[in-house]
Amino acid sequence: MFRKSSLLVAAISFVLLFGSVAFAKKAYVNGIDANYPPFAYIDANGKPAGFDVDSLDWIANKMGFTVEHKAMEWSTIVQSVVSKKIDMVYSGMSITEERAKQVNFSDPYWKVAQVIIAKKGSGLSVEKAFKGGMKLGVQSGTSEADMLQNQIGKDGNNYELKYYDSAPLAIMDILNGRVPTAAMDIAPAEDAIKHGKDIEIVGEFGEPEFFGIAVRKEDKELLETINKGLKMLMADPYWEELKAKHLKDGAH
Amino acid sequence: MQQQLSVILEALPYILEGAGVSLAIVVFAMALGLLMGIPMAVGLVYGHPILRRLIGLYVWFFRGVPILVLMFLFYFGIFDALGLDLNAISAVSIVLGLTSAAYQSQIFRGAIQSLPQGQLKAARALGMSDMQGIISIILPQALRLSIPGWSNEYSIILKDSALAYVVGAMDIFTRTHFVASRTYEHLALFINAGVLYFIITLVGVKLLLALEKKVRIPGYTM
Repeated sequence: MFRKSSLLVAAISFVLLFGSVAFAKKAYVNGIDANYPPFAYIDANGKPAGFDVDSLDWIANKMGFTVEHKAMEWSTIVQSVVSKKIDMVYSGMSITEERAKQVNFSDPYWKVAQVIIAKKGSGLSVEKAFKGGMKLGVQSGTSEADMLQNQIGKDGNNYELKYYDSAPLAIMDILNGRVPTAAMDIAPAEDAIKHGKDIEIVGEFGEPEFFGIAVRKEDKELLETINKGLKMLMADPYWEELKAKHLKDGAH
Repeated sequence: MQQQLSVILEALPYILEGAGVSLAIVVFAMALGLLMGIPMAVGLVYGHPILRRLIGLYVWFFRGVPILVLMFLFYFGIFDALGLDLNAISAVSIVLGLTSAAYQSQIFRGAIQSLPQGQLKAARALGMSDMQGIISIILPQALRLSIPGWSNEYSIILKDSALAYVVGAMDIFTRTHFVASRTYEHLALFINAGVLYFIITLVGVKLLLALEKKVRIPGYTM
């Protein structure tokens, strides 16, 4: 009994000693959509990876904080920031007015076109996808889902939205022939094409969006830190490396 | 085929870690359900009418609301309001445990009511208090009779644990989805997940069956 308790005391003091060292740096939790390659996904070793994950790791290293990437369900991710389950979202998040009511965004770091995809050789177009009375796949909780929902019935738009949990699932359903077209950011579409999936981008729609990092309204200091780090990153050669590593030809 | 197999093999360690998470959720939920379910069943059978009413209300609520709704309600609402900062796994375990308590109370209630009525009277005649009679005469028999229903509950909770995905607990299903998003091998990976759930269900139910045989009272048949 005595031996057990002394072990426990030793263990606790060990944790206190080394825990305090670890807590010298500020530790933040970043929520990611791990179903959003190439910006954020889980790699073959079961570790978070991707363009955004690498970016934030670099910024954290430069700005002297530690960060843990936590895979979250995308449709509730803003809620998770607000209710302090995570501290930020650095994961291909489009800056939108709607979201900006609940969180603050960093400076934009990426411009992303929104595209319509279809099976290769389908002969479909953006026009047909919007006005042909067909089903249109989209990921729930995304900016494009909101926008498309509001556009139904305006200027001859008559599509029926079918919601998916992730862009890859919408892509799978196009391949299965369940939906003729789907709307998404260009990045996951290009990623699928890179993986040899039989889809094509039939055209862009809407205004291009900008990705930014979301933090809680009251976390002014964190936002400043991130903006500073982001500026440094985009001026660093590593930024080009990241593009080459994760994105098709690094094309912007 | 080659391609799919290599994806599965590569991802297996990562997904099996998720099996640990799924099992932990199930074990905790079953235990919480048991700890709450037994007193609730006793209350339902022997309790004061008001107590019975309250327990009935609890059961009605947790049986009537979809688990998915409960998970959102607790994870993004009630736990926050109570000032509890629970991670996804704990939150899911508690929600499934509270739900399971409602179902388990019904399993135990059925078992208690299937026992001959006179037993508690006989216990009283031996000078036992009601509580003593319930604890030492009624429950030992009722719990044995509950094992089949309980193994059913095990497989139901295990499958419901896949809903943990909506709050981002890293269970089998969540991890499977992540790997599928990176590799685009959805079909193979979801089949693999199905097989894993099947194996875990089978092993658990077999263990409970063995337990049922082990604790059977010789010569006692219902």
